[in-house]
Amino acid sequence: MSQNPPSVSDTPVLKLLNVESAYGPIRAIRGVSLQVRRGEIATVLGSNGAGKTTILKTISGIIDPRKGSIEFKGEDITANDPAHIVQQGLSHVPEGREVFPLLTVHDNLVMGAYTRKDKDGIARDMEAVYAYFPILRERAAQDAGLLSGGQQQMLAISRAIMASPDLILLDEPSLGLSPKLTKEIFEIVVRINRERGTTILLVEQNANMALNAADHGYVLENGRIVMEDACERLREKEDIKEFYLGVKDDGVRGERRWKKKKTWR
Amino acid sequence: MQGLWDLNTFEPRLDVVVPGDTIPAMFWNAVKQRGDTVWMRQKELGIWRSWSWHQTADAVREIAAGLQAIGFAPGECASILSNTVIEWVLADLAVLSCGGVSNGIYPTDAASQVHYLCEDSRTTVLFVEDDEQLDKALEVRAGLPGLRRIVVFDMEGLRDLDDPGVMSLDALRELGRARLSADPQAVERTVAACRPEDLAILVYTSGTTGKPKGAMHSHAGLVYTARGYNTLIAQDEKDERMCFLPLCHIAERMGGEYFAMYTGSILNFVENPETVPENVREIAPTVFTAVPRVWEKFYSGVMIALKEASPLQQAAYRWSIGVGEAIAAKVLAGEPVGAGLKLKFRLARLLALDNARKLIGIHRSRFLVTGAAPISPELVKWYLALGVPMLEVWGMTESCGASTAVPATRIKPGSIGPATGYNEVRIDPATGEILVRGPNVFMGYLNLPEKTAETIDAEGWLHTGDVGVMDEDGYFRITDRMKDIIITAGGKNVTPSELENELKFSLYITDAVVIGDKKPYLTVIVMIDQENVEKFAQDNDVPFSNYESLTRTKEVLDLIQGEIDRVNAKFARVEQIKKFFLLETQLSAEDEELTPTMKLKRKLVQTKYAERIEAMYR
Repeated sequence: MSQNPPSVSDTPVLKLLNVESAYGPIRAIRGVSLQVRRGEIATVLGSNGAGKTTILKTISGIIDPRKGSIEFKGEDITANDPAHIVQQGLSHVPEGREVFPLLTVHDNLVMGAYTRKDKDGIARDMEAVYAYFPILRERAAQDAGLLSGGQQQMLAISRAIMASPDLILLDEPSLGLSPKLTKEIFEIVVRINRERGTTILLVEQNANMALNAADHGYVLENGRIVMEDACERLREKEDIKEFYLGVKDDGVRGERRWKKKKTWR
Repeated sequence: MQGLWDLNTFEPRLDVVVPGDTIPAMFWNAVKQRGDTVWMRQKELGIWRSWSWHQTADAVREIAAGLQAIGFAPGECASILSNTVIEWVLADLAVLSCGGVSNGIYPTDAASQVHYLCEDSRTTVLFVEDDEQLDKALEVRAGLPGLRRIVVFDMEGLRDLDDPGVMSLDALRELGRARLSADPQAVERTVAACRPEDLAILVYTSGTTGKPKGAMHSHAGLVYTARGYNTLIAQDEKDERMCFLPLCHIAERMGGEYFAMYTGSILNFVENPETVPENVREIAPTVFTAVPRVWEKFYSGVMIALKEASPLQQAAYRWSIGVGEAIAAKVLAGEPVGAGLKLKFRLARLLALDNARKLIGIHRSRFLVTGAAPISPELVKWYLALGVPMLEVWGMTESCGASTAVPATRIKPGSIGPATGYNEVRIDPATGEILVRGPNVFMGYLNLPEKTAETIDAEGWLHTGDVGVMDEDGYFRITDRMKDIIITAGGKNVTPSELENELKFSLYITDAVVIGDKKPYLTVIVMIDQENVEKFAQDNDVPFSNYESLTRTKEVLDLIQGEIDRVNAKFARVEQIKKFFLLETQLSAEDEELTPTMKLKRKLVQTKYAERIEAMYR
């Protein structure tokens, strides 16, 4: 994971201001402000139910926020139609891949390019994703539903690339994958970012992988951001070590069960 | 339900309701008197479990006999390192029943503080709540040669622990049962041998400067004070109260545990410090003692609920609280309340006030008691407007809690009331310091005879360090802490607490420290109320990510400036605050900046943030 990183510009490509989203009476995110700079990998860490997926769904227009605004490449896309948002250059790789199971791998990829007209570009990107994931080329004619979980994840990421987006939202790529496969997928995510300059917003439970892959991180708890920093600094924070990385001193007895209090500093 | 206008129904109890000249004697007499009635309740796995006096007595007897079995002798000290749980009370009463000295340690204290307190008090047996507290004790055990045994209340996660110096409370009780079967009167003998003048408990003062000092209280002082409290705020077996403040603090130890033991009122323990609001609603205490910070939280909870209410509900609240305020104003002025207003108040309660009371959980409260820190008069008036009398008491660890108290029949917000009947209070004509004398005054500081001599003078007056004035009715008013008075470079004497209390009444400010000694003007360090400021930011589209960024937004700074301007308007020009800054880290009780009761430590904050303070004068 050590290619030259693309130049990260200070202008945010994505900016969320006080976004609040709810499912009926349950407020899933309670005022989230964050920004993703062009060319970087940003990550949102959080436990189950912290609101990570809700953030991504709100960005891509699947859920309309109750409050707040979302700006993408300087334009307000708050509560826009998801189809329109995709056309602006923002692709969402949903949790649990959601490939089209009855279409072939090839057709899935073509679906990803549905919004594009440039045939040459599409062909080039098709070659590019086959290069990232050679297994997809081998299985191009098979139904996507017959792929393994890891292969489906590769397909879902590739399908997003096919739209040639400026920003990919990546929802828990490690879900249900073996540690080895997770590592491979993350390596390619970083390559995509480095080689293509695609900005990526990644949400993950696997904090260790996410902190290694990403440049900037946010920690989400109960729908609110409690911490943000560069990932190399986040990794050194006491609370991150104890609650997200599982690194802890064992205490005087050599087996500590109780948790320290979170202070988020 | 009575109204504010007929509070003279509170009958003081002047007789002795439970005999006994020492705390254990009183406890065992209370057990004989009350037997199978309920004394304590605690929630276990979501279900309230009751402890009758008999059950409590059985546990205390076994623990005491167990302590004797492991060689705990009369006069030795045992410390308790735990949150406020039933076992705290059991251990405390067992230690005292052995003729021992009982000392509490805050569960938020760090291992180094645990070390200091155990060493200073010469603790031989240390009770700890659970594995977390145990780890602190084990960390410093090597430096405590006098510590013979650690007893753990809750053994969850410690099944594999094999350490001869550590045992569970159950194992200690087992030892006790064995001893009692051989010698059934073992505990009765040490209880009888205990004398009133013996040292009973140590209460370490949080010590805003230097090391904590162990205030010594005798059995006689504690018993005297428990009887004294009943002449102020009588309560009995029908009363329900909360037990949730730290038991190492004199307020909950004396006003909660020992006072409830004397009167028989029921102690309801909260599940943990975070569940206090829910537990209060469940219990609906009939008498309720708490510190200003708790009352402020309840108030801001109602204010937040109100902001989210419909316009009709808001209008109903405004009208109702207006009626309540009108009644409170009349009662405070000593004027009769007319029948029309009384009728309106019935309606106001139905419309809104009863709901506000239920939201807090004080709908059954006969009265509320506030103490341990100054409270804003505005806040007292708000509770009065709800129709619940709030009585302020003033005192300190060294005076065993309340030395002055506001009587229900004549409430004066902003005043701490006249001297209680059981001690004398006067103002030192030379310095303006408030002095207290009576049997409730402590025996002195452990191991610190010079400090004791500085605090109790030759005539037995306790020098409290609070400066105050007395009005024509004998009511005292605190103007400041001796040490805290600010003299600005311009020579103006300023009492920071007046400004600070006004600031703390703001929904957005939790605590504030006013600075300005030898400086050209006043400045303030503000700790914001996280919940309310976050809500403000969210409602007004102020972007923030974490706490620090929240405190740096212009809108929040403007908000606090607005609150300061509001307070400034009430003071003369030289007493106005010119600049401020916000604490940017979110503090918890574990942090050195805060006392265990969550107040900012003035001296420490001043030293720690010296640079930022200097910056306000550049």
